[in-house]
Amino acid sequence: MAREQSRSRRLAAPLAIAASAALLSVSIAARAQYADDWWAPDSGRTFPAQADYGNGAGSLRVLLTGGPMETKGHPFFSATGPNGRACITCHQPADAMSLSAERAQARWEATGGKDPLFTAYDGSNCPTLPQGDRASHSLLLEHGLFRIQRPWPPRDLAGKLITPDFDLAVVRDPTGCESGNYGPAKGNISVYRRPRPVANLKYLLAIGFAYDPKQGMPLPLDPESGKPMSGNLMADGRAGTLNGQMRDASATHLELTRHMDAADMARIMDFETRIFTAQQSDAKGGPVDAGGAEGGAAKLAHSQAGQLGDYGHPVWSEFAAWEKQVLGLTPEQAAWRASVARGAKLFRDKTFLISDSAGINSPIGFGNPVRNACAFCHNMSQMGNDVAPGQVDLGTTNQPFADPMPWLPLFRINCKGPAHPHYGKVIYTSDPGYALTTGRCADVGKITLQSLRGLSARAPYFSNGSAKDLRGVVDFYERRYKIGYTEQEKQDLVNLMSAL
Amino acid sequence: MKALLALALLAGAAQGTSDNIRFITCPIYRDTDSGKKSGCWLAEDRATGRRYDVSLSIAKPDWNHEVLVEGRRAATKDNPCGGVVLDAVRTSILPGDCTRQMLPAENYTGRKFALPRRNVRPIYDPAPPPAGPYGAKSFHLLFDFDQPFLIYQYDDYYLDQAIAWIRAAKPHAIMVTGYAATTPTRVSGRMIAEDPAIARIRAERVAEAFVRLGVDRRIITVRWRNAATPLEVPEADGLIEPSRRRVDIDVTP
Repeated sequence: MAREQSRSRRLAAPLAIAASAALLSVSIAARAQYADDWWAPDSGRTFPAQADYGNGAGSLRVLLTGGPMETKGHPFFSATGPNGRACITCHQPADAMSLSAERAQARWEATGGKDPLFTAYDGSNCPTLPQGDRASHSLLLEHGLFRIQRPWPPRDLAGKLITPDFDLAVVRDPTGCESGNYGPAKGNISVYRRPRPVANLKYLLAIGFAYDPKQGMPLPLDPESGKPMSGNLMADGRAGTLNGQMRDASATHLELTRHMDAADMARIMDFETRIFTAQQSDAKGGPVDAGGAEGGAAKLAHSQAGQLGDYGHPVWSEFAAWEKQVLGLTPEQAAWRASVARGAKLFRDKTFLISDSAGINSPIGFGNPVRNACAFCHNMSQMGNDVAPGQVDLGTTNQPFADPMPWLPLFRINCKGPAHPHYGKVIYTSDPGYALTTGRCADVGKITLQSLRGLSARAPYFSNGSAKDLRGVVDFYERRYKIGYTEQEKQDLVNLMSAL
Repeated sequence: MKALLALALLAGAAQGTSDNIRFITCPIYRDTDSGKKSGCWLAEDRATGRRYDVSLSIAKPDWNHEVLVEGRRAATKDNPCGGVVLDAVRTSILPGDCTRQMLPAENYTGRKFALPRRNVRPIYDPAPPPAGPYGAKSFHLLFDFDQPFLIYQYDDYYLDQAIAWIRAAKPHAIMVTGYAATTPTRVSGRMIAEDPAIARIRAERVAEAFVRLGVDRRIITVRWRNAATPLEVPEADGLIEPSRRRVDIDVTP
């Protein structure tokens, strides 16, 4: 453990100096250090107040406000269940408190697939497969996907059965998990998703407005506290609070047979709401908070959450200072900073026609189509998630917009009531998303907007890992909405996202 | 007096006067670009061959579906979209399918986006509470045709006003009455009427909204009515038919 900590410090030191020659060597070194950066459960390490971790683009900073924390016996870091996992297993600091597919591969190589990460329940394509075979874990290893088992038909937050307004049939079952005990016939459905980062949570929990314009109602109330919920925590909105998320995760990912007690949940919540992460330095461009810019985790930790960019700080205005040329930079640094600044402006200002995307084009009243920019939905200052609950169908899981993904199951949705406003009565999808929580055909394929911080540390992207890198994200939007980005604009957006 | 007004409004509606234009058609999107939300929505009344600019509707059309247009000609001579400007105007999306139609800008500029006057302030920048005295007061939420959806930057604004009043006034009773325009009317050669069930759905939805906003469910009474008559209230912007599709919120101190 001491060696791991000293490695993080060793990495941080040259980055603080920001010497460009050193940065190049850090970038190369970053790719080789995954095994050492692995944080295993019950390791008894001290979680530092600040640590930097290398990644392919530069380095990520993880801040814990309130000072360092001993993790020995802490429920986030302790394997208390039968599968040997703890929360930290799938929420690694070096991966912006998520988990990259690359790190999963490194872990497989380091342990011969014996790490609890690869537990049969959700770290394999299906528990029925031979667990010693690498192929049985291909979705996690190749796409960073965990199996998420949802009840079918859905149940509401109180566990009450919901009668869905659609039928669901399995068209394709490459994992075998949509049949037998894990399939719809036995009251389950398996979908495959990326783990969402457990960081910067004050932004995801923030409530900017009392109303959810996508549902045409005030925000729903947490049955436990009676307080409104932000709706931005989980991909399918199945839990609206950290307590709800903990209960869900402990019963599934940790396979606990008992509920976490209130004291443990309070300790986890205390930790989770103090952790902030963002890319801190770029291998080409240097620190993201240099030259008047305000990138990085410190700004996140100290800013007010839940503010609409249109009202106060425009989204990604952290990089506005880089719109002006500054003397004294290397040509490479100057070019990268200028590109990030252009990317930020593109993100806010380059409009395109958004069409047939439920949650945007229906039922909110913006019209179908509507002309707007990335920041239309990614509208929260400092964070880029949606101030309103962010359930939107971009088409990442629904055909015909989704890319071919033969490794994922495919479902045929038949809407029994009103037709879906954009797909009609029949929808083919690899993940019904929010509809697995609401039971509504109109919500098929809606996925809560992703966090945009620490992206360089946690490829692949989108909820189903369908974009293997940041260029893949831009390319998806380009295809989906026929935006007409130039090659330079695409690179500017990639550079912006890599700096977040 | 109110009844006379309603009769006068009804007479105008039946005749389809220029004060209250009403027709069903497939919408046309014109791809003007003056920044975000600057695209134009056009709708042609097939009976007259006249093309209207309905872009100022609160909730916009969907190019895949028919729309019910209800509006009034604007006094302006401006023509940023290539149609006779309707203001006020509502466009209700109907189930009927349309072939999507998009026109190029053709030198029309569209309108630069401006924040609508009916917008809810963020929680971190709240409006001051309404001043008293807190006597009996009524609020009205109007809906699109056959829809219970609380329209963004319209119904949420009035709901927000109502809840601000309720929080300040601490009333003993709130009556929520849902209405549906179930009396058939002829529009563009077809008879249309709202589903009677929508009156109840609207009322229950608004009641649930109040509960979510912290109102004690026990002080809310919910009821519903069909064959709604028009109501002249500022929320309707002088449009007749949309005023039938509403929920009345009557707050008793």
